[in-house]
Amino acid sequence: MTASFAFAQKSIVIAHDATWPPMEFVDQNKNIVGYSVDYCDAIAKEMGLTVEHRSVAWDGIFAGLVGRKYDMISSSVSITPERQKKFDFSDPYFEVTQAVILPADASGDSLADLKGKTLGGQLGTTGVFMAKRAEDVNTKEYDEIGFAIEALYTGRIDGVICDDAIAADYVLRNPKYAKKFKLAFIVKSDKPEYYGFVVKKGNKELLETLNKGIAAVKAKGIEADLRKKWIGQ
Amino acid sequence: MSVEKKEVRIAVTDGMLIPSGKDKSVVTAWTISLIFAISSIIYLCVTKPDPYLDILKFLPDGILVTFEVTVSAILLTIPIGLATGMGRLSENKIINLIASTYVEIIRGIPLLVQLFFIYYAIGEFIQLPDLAAAVIAMSVCYGAYMGEVFRAGIDAIDTGQTEAARSLGLNKTETMFMVILPQSWRTILPPVGNEFIALLKDSSLISILAVSELLRRGREYASVTFNYFECYLMVALIYLVITLLLSKAVSIMENKLNYYDD
Repeated sequence: MTASFAFAQKSIVIAHDATWPPMEFVDQNKNIVGYSVDYCDAIAKEMGLTVEHRSVAWDGIFAGLVGRKYDMISSSVSITPERQKKFDFSDPYFEVTQAVILPADASGDSLADLKGKTLGGQLGTTGVFMAKRAEDVNTKEYDEIGFAIEALYTGRIDGVICDDAIAADYVLRNPKYAKKFKLAFIVKSDKPEYYGFVVKKGNKELLETLNKGIAAVKAKGIEADLRKKWIGQ
Repeated sequence: MSVEKKEVRIAVTDGMLIPSGKDKSVVTAWTISLIFAISSIIYLCVTKPDPYLDILKFLPDGILVTFEVTVSAILLTIPIGLATGMGRLSENKIINLIASTYVEIIRGIPLLVQLFFIYYAIGEFIQLPDLAAAVIAMSVCYGAYMGEVFRAGIDAIDTGQTEAARSLGLNKTETMFMVILPQSWRTILPPVGNEFIALLKDSSLISILAVSELLRRGREYASVTFNYFECYLMVALIYLVITLLLSKAVSIMENKLNYYDD
């Protein structure tokens, strides 16, 4: 209780790269919204915190955390061993897989089918890392996932790799892209991938609060509601 | 600035000797900067090969792309600038209007916005290869600035030169290309050199098009390793070295032009 009380005094600043629908994005009223945003708000409500959401570019989002520009990152950050060396992660709050979007008339069921093709993705995301590890697949790293999608739309690249929830959003919900693209396949991986909230190395106080909050959100069924609202399942 | 211009004008019209711009001393701001940049890179790579040498090994193809884009854009910019500058001075109202409108519009839109426009917006209609889009956007943008430099340079040549050339029987085109332009190079080159260097630095903006130039390579490396400080320090030092070399090339050209033909 004392920990949460201490936090209640000041506002926690949360950084999002708000270009990742439906997890975090800017809606038509210029508000930062999405699954992760609601998740943070739910945690805040459970733990009695005040939070402030801030929109930040993905490129440098970790540098900003190191530079104390905000207290935590909630930006669909997958937990990877490399990232864990430099930062502390909360408990996982969302399981994710990497999905590949292709033009509706293209064929391909796995990364092996895309030999010699160019896959676009967002700079420094797990999807791009995965594409880079695949043999004979060229990668192109864009600043934002939206640029990669647009590059696919205009035929500059052959496909886009990103988190499945985002891929589904662009393919199914976006009226501009819905007819042109298809969610071609999920990239098989031996290890499951999870999103976690990121805090500065050694910020135990905030980390504990977050973990308690996540546990509460899951236990009370709020997480299931959020899934229904944003992911649709 | 105005004093300098006057000197050149007098020298051109009266044929007075211009003191050579060559600086004989070894310790100049340029040498200090270059030695600083190169020795910093070497020092960092030797003392902390991980990550500095690693970063350096990751960057060469990026440097090459930066070079390619800059050189092609410069080569394209010169004719565009020349045409624009002459168009701005043209007595033909329509040509004048076209050139002036081009300058006004392009100068009023940031290069970054032009890049987005040509790559993502026009991309819905015309497909340009990445590098071509980058080079075209950069040369169209810098052509406008260069046009103003050319206009000023041509304008600075005394009308007596035109009158003399015309009275010797040269036609308008001959006068421009054989008499006026060769002389105006002396005035034009220093500001043109500035534009070249600005262009080189602005080529970092094409990073937004996912073209793997120098800055992009640095960002790609940093995104995997989180070594932001080390990466951007290395990128900055390399840009500095390239820019210094380019500025030297321009000043050598200036010195070559800065003497008097007999």
